[in-house]
Amino acid sequence: MNIFRKIAFSRLTGVAITFLLVSVAPVMAEGDTVCIQCHGSQTGRGLAPVKPWQTSIHAVNGISCNHCHGGDPTDSANAMSPQRGFLGAPEELAIPGFCGRCHIGIKADYLHSAHGRALGKGGPTCVTCHGSHAVQKVSIELINEKNCSRCHSYDRARIIRSAMEQTETTLVTLSQRLEQLKERGVDTAELEKRLFAQRNSYHSLFHEVNTARITDESAKIAAELNLIKGRLDKIDAEHHQRKVIGAFAVGGALLAALLLNLLRRTYC
Amino acid sequence: MFLFRKIHNWLNVRLGVDDLVEKQLTGYLLPANINRWYSLGSVLLFIFTLQVISGVLLLVYYVPDADKAFTSVNAIMNTVPYGWLIRLCHVVGSNMMVLVLILHMLSVLFMGSYKRPRELNWLSGFVIFTLVMAISLTGYLLPWSQLSFWATTVATNSAGAIPFVGSYLVEFLRGGALVGPYTLGRFFALHVAVIPIGIVAIIGLHLFLLERIGVSTPPFGLSDTKNPWKDDRFRHEDHPGGIPFFPNYLLSDMTSVAIYLVFFLLILFFASNIFLPKDAFIPANPFQTPAHIKPEWYFLSNYQTLKIFPNEFIGLMVQGAGMTFLALLPFIDRGPERHPLKRPLFMVCAVGGILLWIGLMIWGHYS
Repeated sequence: MNIFRKIAFSRLTGVAITFLLVSVAPVMAEGDTVCIQCHGSQTGRGLAPVKPWQTSIHAVNGISCNHCHGGDPTDSANAMSPQRGFLGAPEELAIPGFCGRCHIGIKADYLHSAHGRALGKGGPTCVTCHGSHAVQKVSIELINEKNCSRCHSYDRARIIRSAMEQTETTLVTLSQRLEQLKERGVDTAELEKRLFAQRNSYHSLFHEVNTARITDESAKIAAELNLIKGRLDKIDAEHHQRKVIGAFAVGGALLAALLLNLLRRTYC
Repeated sequence: MFLFRKIHNWLNVRLGVDDLVEKQLTGYLLPANINRWYSLGSVLLFIFTLQVISGVLLLVYYVPDADKAFTSVNAIMNTVPYGWLIRLCHVVGSNMMVLVLILHMLSVLFMGSYKRPRELNWLSGFVIFTLVMAISLTGYLLPWSQLSFWATTVATNSAGAIPFVGSYLVEFLRGGALVGPYTLGRFFALHVAVIPIGIVAIIGLHLFLLERIGVSTPPFGLSDTKNPWKDDRFRHEDHPGGIPFFPNYLLSDMTSVAIYLVFFLLILFFASNIFLPKDAFIPANPFQTPAHIKPEWYFLSNYQTLKIFPNEFIGLMVQGAGMTFLALLPFIDRGPERHPLKRPLFMVCAVGGILLWIGLMIWGHYS
């Protein structure tokens, strides 16, 4: 009797554990690495990077902990083993190289800039402005008094920002217009490529502190953006023309319906 | 003028043109109380003709190859002169054809025109309806966009719920386990050749039956609204004292076509995106399922019905039973009364059915 009870108890326990595993499984987001699973259950310093990373552009684009810090995201026991390529957090001087493994062009821009040249001499690294885990999509909003004043006066940065602001606005506007046209079946591939190239050139200016160069480059970008805008204006004008023709066609059909109805009534 | 008269005489001697005109046009009398709803058939013929013309024009540039289909449709929309107009005509026209066809069937239902001796008219009309749904479904895949690819995946998947043969049927429809280049080939052949030929043949039969049996009298404005048909011998339903088809009713038909054109052109020029959402302009990607993929509006109620029942097979059976009931309605509803207000059971079922269909459609859209 006792043995049967034990068997029944062990079976019930098995069923309960299976049920628990099945019901808990959906709570853990599918695709979470062991890094997130482990750090997510910690407190204090261990937990600190999880939430900021979850709100970052890296998370949006599927760049996880292991893509920067190395290690094995599938094996919790050896996730942080140097044998599995774990790098940990870089030292200050190594930060540009750490981020620059992916952001190659931006690393070069940074190293050529006054910020990059001051590396190790009190100058900022990537994470000083962009943060280490809550990295957001870059916009001109990053250049602001609060950020810049941490190290130097905002005067020069203000001039840089105002020189770039118009380009930023134009880029955003053109992107939105392209998206709208794409949703209406317009082939925007070529214009998107051109805009992408200009956006890249513009982003390369983000690490520049030479105001003269920024003004020159911004003017060149603005000229190219103006050409793209011209193309979009032409497409919009064509679509407007189609609507005018459409209004006439609808009016014509309406008039035909009225006339035909009047003609029909003359026979009745 | 002299030349025209000479040609007329030449044809008259050989073909009896005057007699033909008298018999089929000026002397062809329709019920005196005929209404605007009767012209929906002519509107449908007009739409179908426009679909054939725009479809043939699209065929000139469309490439039925999975690697090139999207690019070719993109080129039609952007580089072919007036290609956008032709494609939008075809897309908007296909949706309008389903809508007008449903209205035509509803008018026949409410006026009791499906009743004896017109069972075959109803049945042939029902077959046309099924073929129009099939041509719409097959045409939907051809642009090879995200929308078409995933909507077809969902639609063909439901056939898999049929026990025993389901998986074979899905594979037969797709030409493989998944929607792919072979599905496109099959759907293209069905869309441009098999189904249109079928539709033309059944339209021919439908018109022959209309001509042979005669146009039904609407039940409105009459003291006796009962079905006058006697089950003893064939009689063509004549309408002495009625109105001539030409010019009177032809003008009514043309007015209806012009009214249809107003709505058609309004959607085409100002709101075509209601039939072509964002996903219709993204190339098909079998590895990326869009977040909220939905079938076309006329399949939304079917889609929602499948979701309501715990088992897709039950959902399919319910739909099959509903469609069979509708197809066989003239053999089930054999009462002589034709006026809708004198048929309370019919009215409750019909209005309830329409509301249920619309409700399921809205539910399917927002679910």
